[in-house]
Amino acid sequence: MRSQTMTCREMDAVIASHAGDLTLPREAAEHVVECEGCRLLVKAFDNGHTSLGPPEDRLKQIQAAIKEDLRPVRPLASSGVFLLAFILISLAVVAIGSQLLGVNGWNALSTIQRMTIFAALTASVFLLAISVVRQMAPGGKHSISPRLLPIGILAGLILATAVIFQVRHETAFVPDGLACLRTGMTYSIPAALLFWVLLSRGAVLYPKLTGAAAGGFAGLIGVSVLEVGCPNLDLYHILVWHLGVILLCAIGGLSLGAAVDHFRRRSIRGHSRI
Amino acid sequence: MQLEAHPSAFPNAEFEQLMARYQQADPGAVAVLVERLSPQLYRFFASQLGNRADAEDMLQDTWMRIHRVRHTYRAGDPVLPWVYTIARRVRVDNYRKRFRMASREMGVDVLPELPTHNDETSSLPSFEELVAVLPESQREVVTMLKVDGLSLEEIARVTSSTTGAVKQKAHRAYERLRKILERATKGPERTPPPQSASKGVAQ
Repeated sequence: MRSQTMTCREMDAVIASHAGDLTLPREAAEHVVECEGCRLLVKAFDNGHTSLGPPEDRLKQIQAAIKEDLRPVRPLASSGVFLLAFILISLAVVAIGSQLLGVNGWNALSTIQRMTIFAALTASVFLLAISVVRQMAPGGKHSISPRLLPIGILAGLILATAVIFQVRHETAFVPDGLACLRTGMTYSIPAALLFWVLLSRGAVLYPKLTGAAAGGFAGLIGVSVLEVGCPNLDLYHILVWHLGVILLCAIGGLSLGAAVDHFRRRSIRGHSRI
Repeated sequence: MQLEAHPSAFPNAEFEQLMARYQQADPGAVAVLVERLSPQLYRFFASQLGNRADAEDMLQDTWMRIHRVRHTYRAGDPVLPWVYTIARRVRVDNYRKRFRMASREMGVDVLPELPTHNDETSSLPSFEELVAVLPESQREVVTMLKVDGLSLEEIARVTSSTTGAVKQKAHRAYERLRKILERATKGPERTPPPQSASKGVAQ
């Protein structure tokens, strides 16, 4: 509803921040007089909620249990330190891969292809690294939903690949592809293990989500190694066998996260009783 | 009704100092943190469950988890989103456990219906009755806004989403509640069945 002063939608912001003991701003108060829905909503919220609190003895129990196990802890290093560690691991794995596999892929790419694919990979690595680092501590700020980011990155890479590469005649699509997939995984798995070591320093509350993101991140490192080393520029080869590394690693991370989640919940059930 | 002050009414700097002292194993800081944060955390659970025994268990579980991961709090970060993210995870686990138990018992999760009032001036439904008709993700946002006094930005941190997404959920919840409240005060018309019975806990 639109009154002379403000709309119900504008009123939502007022309701969200309004505490019952405060007076409404003048424009909002005028709107409330005219709009029955908003008036009832403000009244219902001002009506309050139960003021009951937890029993005192329960709080004492909690305090006692914590004090019993109270030892100094060293706070987690800053996000910047972890971000740097993730990026250094990524660069190290790609450098080792380039040394061992050579740079035939890099040389085979045209300038446009090189710029597009490596810009997309670099941006993806940075975005996923930031997302994973923020998932290491509860309450981290996310500018992109961590649930959507891995899907968005994969979609973006598929789109970029489809735009800059063409279909070429291939005689050994599956054998060549499997070799690339194996190579990609060979570099992704060590990267994933190192990521796991870093992640274990934090508190991952949603292991499936973080596992999928970290797995996808490790997959990106494998793809970067392949783009530098593999001279096959066939569109389908890159879409299926190169980008497939990301998908496989993300699924692997998700499965590992699900297993961690399962065992953690079982252990919490056993330990949470005071 | 006398409501205790929201934790957000306390300066964040004070919570930050308490957390830093907690990390240094100061028992006094533990006592103050548990006393100040527990009532709101308890309401966060109770408002969405309507079951006080479960709320107490979840409160205890939350503090045990907070204790286990206290090293992940970084000085300078807001304390409330950090605490509520852990509390939310406890609630998700508890919801799953209850869901599994309910599926085994083949039970039907009945949620309270909003009582009807013919007179606007008569008592409106309690907060718990009101939010019970909302889908889980909207109920969670409204509870954190109105019961726990968190800001949209803080809720976005807790739910690992963006401020825009939280704002949208709050807007949808208010729209729905406006319609339900209008209907409830106008006549004995039945309210639509709550969606939350069939929806999972938002992650």
